[in-house]
Amino acid sequence: MSPVLGILSVFPELFNVNGDAENAAVLAARSRWSGRSARVIRLALGEKAPESAPGMIVIGSTTDAVLPEAIAALRLLRASLAEWIAAGVPLLAVGTGWELLSDSIELPSGTVDGLGLVPGRAVAADTRVADDLVIASAFGRLTGFENHARNYELPAQTQGLGSIIYGRGNGGGVGASEGLVLGSVIGTHLHGPVLAKNPALADHLLSIALPGYDSRTVPSGRVDDFARAARNVIATRLELALETA
Amino acid sequence: MPGLVVNRIAPGFLAATLGGFPDGLVVVTGSSGKSTTTKMLVAILEAHGKSIFTNPSTANIAQGLTSALLERVDLRGRIDAQIGVLEMDEGHGAQIAPSLAPRVVLLTNVMTDQIDRFHDSEKVAAMLATIAGRATQSVVVNADDGMLLDIVAGQHTATEVVRFGVSRSVLDANPRGLGYTRTASGRIDPTEGTVVTGVNGRSATVSIAGESVEIALPARGTHYAVDAAGALSAAEAVLGNSFDPATAAAAVSAVEPVFGRGEVVTVRGQRVEFVLVQNPASFQLNIDSLERGLDQIFVAVGSDVRDPSYLWPVDSSPLGRVTIVSGSKAYEMALQLSYQGVMIGTVNPDLPAALDEFLALPAPEKGIKTVVFTADSMRRSRAHLGLA
Repeated sequence: MSPVLGILSVFPELFNVNGDAENAAVLAARSRWSGRSARVIRLALGEKAPESAPGMIVIGSTTDAVLPEAIAALRLLRASLAEWIAAGVPLLAVGTGWELLSDSIELPSGTVDGLGLVPGRAVAADTRVADDLVIASAFGRLTGFENHARNYELPAQTQGLGSIIYGRGNGGGVGASEGLVLGSVIGTHLHGPVLAKNPALADHLLSIALPGYDSRTVPSGRVDDFARAARNVIATRLELALETA
Repeated sequence: MPGLVVNRIAPGFLAATLGGFPDGLVVVTGSSGKSTTTKMLVAILEAHGKSIFTNPSTANIAQGLTSALLERVDLRGRIDAQIGVLEMDEGHGAQIAPSLAPRVVLLTNVMTDQIDRFHDSEKVAAMLATIAGRATQSVVVNADDGMLLDIVAGQHTATEVVRFGVSRSVLDANPRGLGYTRTASGRIDPTEGTVVTGVNGRSATVSIAGESVEIALPARGTHYAVDAAGALSAAEAVLGNSFDPATAAAAVSAVEPVFGRGEVVTVRGQRVEFVLVQNPASFQLNIDSLERGLDQIFVAVGSDVRDPSYLWPVDSSPLGRVTIVSGSKAYEMALQLSYQGVMIGTVNPDLPAALDEFLALPAPEKGIKTVVFTADSMRRSRAHLGLA
């Protein structure tokens, strides 16, 4: 019997404003569908880091108001996070959950230091964006929703998650980059159920975490049909080519 | 749109008319529970012999309000009512609040709501603070809501603070809480305000003004008992010594449910319960309040949910199985339900066709046909089914 896949969800009670923490449940479900046991480890604010490395990590997004407190709490776990990232544990960080891993975040009240675990920084934008976000990535076209008032300055040598087909992403708009990929760490503005809506991205992360994971053997057919239909509703509205089965 | 025209040619009309009620104006606002609370408050005040002007629950924006006032106003710009009781959306309420001087403002709760529009709960709280700041006599506040307590702590001291809430045992009976963005750490006791001390199905016990009264609720759910406690508290603030707990309890108990908040309607010979979902917290409360193991559930999510991420924090697993998922966001909802382990019959974004199919099914073996929908899907469903 293979060991249980532990998926660490960081501060889910605070970092689920957009339902991003549920990405951990999506990973757990797909892992189980592939025949591997999985469980979500909910890390509460103020709790110590788990003794052993989790199999995967999800950090969702939160509001600006709680961000400084969350960074302070996460700073106590920084050494563990750094160790796990260096060991190649897949990590999905969404919205403000991605920003807090960066060098710094420009808040209305002033700039605060991030954890410095991924390169780049979050800077204030002129306007808030709350709209669809579609990008072309190595995992196919990814579709979702972005809602943020900051841009992300990606250092020149750092890889993005994809290039923008529709939306603002890191700040450059169509053709420019969205998100960040650093080894097995993925940061993105695609908030909410990004892994449910884009199972190819979920399966990529699972294939890193689970040796021998083959997404083609995962009996997720009907659920992934719903996901494709949901993406195609957005594609239709944005006059993009539809995906076929 | 007559309201729009009047607002343009006589911009002071709304403020002047709303300032003219001899016994003052009451404003009910907050993230959810406004419609039911307003309806209950009006019933209590009318039972005490007061004549009331109130706005229809769908018209809680400035134009709609002006239109509603125009239907009742006389040639001198007066309304034949002693008290005005208005339900106000927090966003629009904050816009028109600076021109109003309500005697009493009732704050229901702060729930994470309509994310694209307000961005976060802190913004909603700021809007409610603006409205509460206009109260001349009393701010009636849900004392179980931590964000509302912060608002009243920041108000000037000339305004009386009236509190309502639930007892420890009532809160403990709702393991997921009552949906507030931040639940206050302590409960109030009956010497500090109006307290819901027990909830049993469609009945509740409320301690008010030193008396314990039994009330009937318009539908299952602790949130309706909280609405009743808020309405009773506001009525006491308005009526003072002439407030009678027994009269008030009888009036609240006679309130019919608001459409989409527990009302059972007969459509095409089938009894159907319609449940409106206003935000993730009310979605959760409504799911938790539904009878378990229902045979036939219809869930419709429409274009008002611009960002489907909003659906994901909800634990929808108690639904068990859903017969049809519909609305323009049907596939998004189906995805959420699937990952929560809910069995799905069919998915059909075409709402009228899906409703026809659902209503044509034979009566369920357990419970009644239940339609859970968002505001946009509710509007379309009512139009399709010819419901007023």
